[in-house]
Amino acid sequence: MIKYIVENIGGVGLFGVISILLFFVFFTGMLLWAAFLKKPFLHSMGELPLDDCECKQTKDQSSHNHE
Amino acid sequence: MTTTNTNIETFKYDNRIVRAFAIMTVVWGIVGMLAGMLAAVELFYPGANLNLQYITFGRLRPLHTNAVIFAFVGNGMFMGIYYSLQRLCKARMWSDKLSWFNFYGWNAIIVAAAITLPLGLTTSKEYAELEWPIDIAIAIVWVAFTINLMATIIKRRERHMYVAIWFYIATALTVAVLHIVNSMEVPAGWFKSYSMYAGVQDALVQWWYGHNAVAFFLTTPYLGMMYYFLPKAANRPVFSYRLSIIHFWALIFVYIWAGPHHLLYTALPDWAQSLGMVFSLMLIAPSWGGMLNGLLTLRGAWDKVRQDPMLKFMVVAVTAYGMATLEGPTLAIKSINSISHYTSWTIAHVHTGALGWNGFLTFSVLYYLFPRLYKTNLWSTKLANYHFWIALLGMMFYIVPIYVAGVTEGLMWKQFNKDGFLQYPNFLETVVQIIPMYKLRAIGGTLYISGMFLMAYNLYKTAKAGVFEPDTEAQAAPLTRDYTEKPGKHFWHHWLESKPIIFTGLAIIAVLIGGAVEIIPMFLIKENVPTISSVKPYTPLELMGRDIYIREGCVGCHSQMIRPFRSETERYGEYSKAGEFVYDHPFLWGSKRTGPDLHRIGGKYPDAWHYNHLENPRSTSPGSIMPNYPWLLSQDLDTNALPARISALRKVGVPYPVGFENGDAQKDMQAQQAKVVTDLKVGMVTADPNKEIIALIAYLQRLGTDIKAAPVAPAAPLTTK
Repeated sequence: MIKYIVENIGGVGLFGVISILLFFVFFTGMLLWAAFLKKPFLHSMGELPLDDCECKQTKDQSSHNHE
Repeated sequence: MTTTNTNIETFKYDNRIVRAFAIMTVVWGIVGMLAGMLAAVELFYPGANLNLQYITFGRLRPLHTNAVIFAFVGNGMFMGIYYSLQRLCKARMWSDKLSWFNFYGWNAIIVAAAITLPLGLTTSKEYAELEWPIDIAIAIVWVAFTINLMATIIKRRERHMYVAIWFYIATALTVAVLHIVNSMEVPAGWFKSYSMYAGVQDALVQWWYGHNAVAFFLTTPYLGMMYYFLPKAANRPVFSYRLSIIHFWALIFVYIWAGPHHLLYTALPDWAQSLGMVFSLMLIAPSWGGMLNGLLTLRGAWDKVRQDPMLKFMVVAVTAYGMATLEGPTLAIKSINSISHYTSWTIAHVHTGALGWNGFLTFSVLYYLFPRLYKTNLWSTKLANYHFWIALLGMMFYIVPIYVAGVTEGLMWKQFNKDGFLQYPNFLETVVQIIPMYKLRAIGGTLYISGMFLMAYNLYKTAKAGVFEPDTEAQAAPLTRDYTEKPGKHFWHHWLESKPIIFTGLAIIAVLIGGAVEIIPMFLIKENVPTISSVKPYTPLELMGRDIYIREGCVGCHSQMIRPFRSETERYGEYSKAGEFVYDHPFLWGSKRTGPDLHRIGGKYPDAWHYNHLENPRSTSPGSIMPNYPWLLSQDLDTNALPARISALRKVGVPYPVGFENGDAQKDMQAQQAKVVTDLKVGMVTADPNKEIIALIAYLQRLGTDIKAAPVAPAAPLTTK
């Protein structure tokens, strides 16, 4: 059944044009979106992995180990 | 408007599951690399399998690749995701049961692979070799993982989804799609199946899968881990969060289009090849954006890199990512690919990625996690530093000789003398030339594994010195439902993040567009695979022989795809046409020529030559590194399997007459067996018609003969023992 449906899709020649349009729309949209994000927000997002208490306890661990 | 919530909740992160995956990462890493070591030794000492069929190079290679990709990197990926996801979401995994189902299910699948692959139970499709019952198990376990991942994200206590989580979502969904589409097969018994696709279409689907398995199994989850663990270890935020957003969307959108670069100059239609090449080149941009983002995170913190082995491993991993993602697109340029393809160059390329990117990043995360899970310091920083240098040296000793080998092969295969003939017409000349490089490679591999053992010991001692913390307590306020963001100020970003399901939907659309644009026209446009009327389905005996060819993993060393270059048509014969493969379920084009191409081997040598060659390749081809196949001479052909196989192939479109398998096929098979035995007698070989080797010879003699106008008489002189 799937084969039948696929074989009967009309206008397959448009695939190339559609794909190139999709590509440009996608990238333009994505770059504009990223360009308009504000610095304080981006800063707070970048800090997310550091936002827990676990990094302190093992800080500088190498100086207290086996050697 | 933001509503403050003072209702702080206390909860626990699950460390047990992280530890379980971490331990199995180390165990499978050692197992997978040892399998690779043995395979590497067999390439210069073919007797290293001790004439055991279960560990020939052909069966060992998929075991090695599956163990490293799905066992070592797979467990490493789950280790990193289960640790970082909980902390980034400020929530325990949604379901402990699903977490453990993921762990036991995944590792049971790996055990099943470790049993079935040496037994020769394989589909032969690279990185998708496991047979259908295991394929179904993979799908079930993967769905359990995805549900757990998504449910954890939905019930998170952190408003924002950090970019690492985006990479995890893309991984979960895309791997599911790739696995299901590429594993469409019709069973012909419990551990035998035939791909639903044939020839060119099978090749395109396979490399759409194969390429994106690299992208979404080996790359995106590890990029997520890089974006979490690198800032943690350096104790500073990622260099540019804006760049990480562009990195994510550009990577997942572009990667999926690039698959056809594995099939340049093959019988794949030219438009698909060009599409693959262009998108491969575009991939440099997001990949290098990500690499620079990682390395620049360490700006001003390079003093830490000198002191902390974990960061050293991370720096090399990110650098290797950059090198591999520059080299990949370079190899996708058609003119470069014409020299590099089928050579060891590709092997060097993938090992830059596997040893450098995946290996070093996994080591880095392991060194980070163990002291934290066991609430202690790393037992020995000095030992970790030794590991770093041994592994780095090992990696160099591995890849540099293999690059030399690859370039040597590529040039020798194409070299013509002043009279216009091939300079090295005997393929063996090019094999013997690179054996010293194979030996050096084995030394590099040994060094790299030695480092693994040092790490395993160091982590074991760390665990012994500390006390395992099964749960880490944490506190956070739950998210409130009445949170709204002012329109115009990151409205879309917040809207997208607050709806993980919609985010997931958009990510999967981005991924699927590329696949759809490539694959649907391949199935639609009949001109893509011009039919050749003289191409007929395999006879029953040839079919059984082909299944032995698949079982033995011959495709690991021999291609069946002659590219339209004079250097190839001079050496092998007429170039391969798309229409010649319409009954090939699965396709067997291969990706590496450790031995010569076999597409036109049919009729090139007499049956007795094949018999002697398979029994001991050095009897006909002195210096050959192919293993002996003595069991093919002694094992009976499993004729009981024939009806199910013919029936399954009919279901996927091979025009065997209805009822053919109920008597006619058997008669046809016996007649052809008798003919092969008669032909063998001419070469002074007496053989039993029911042995496996008879079927394999029948298959080899059929290869590439359909388009020849008249049968070609054996040309080579007879060689007897």
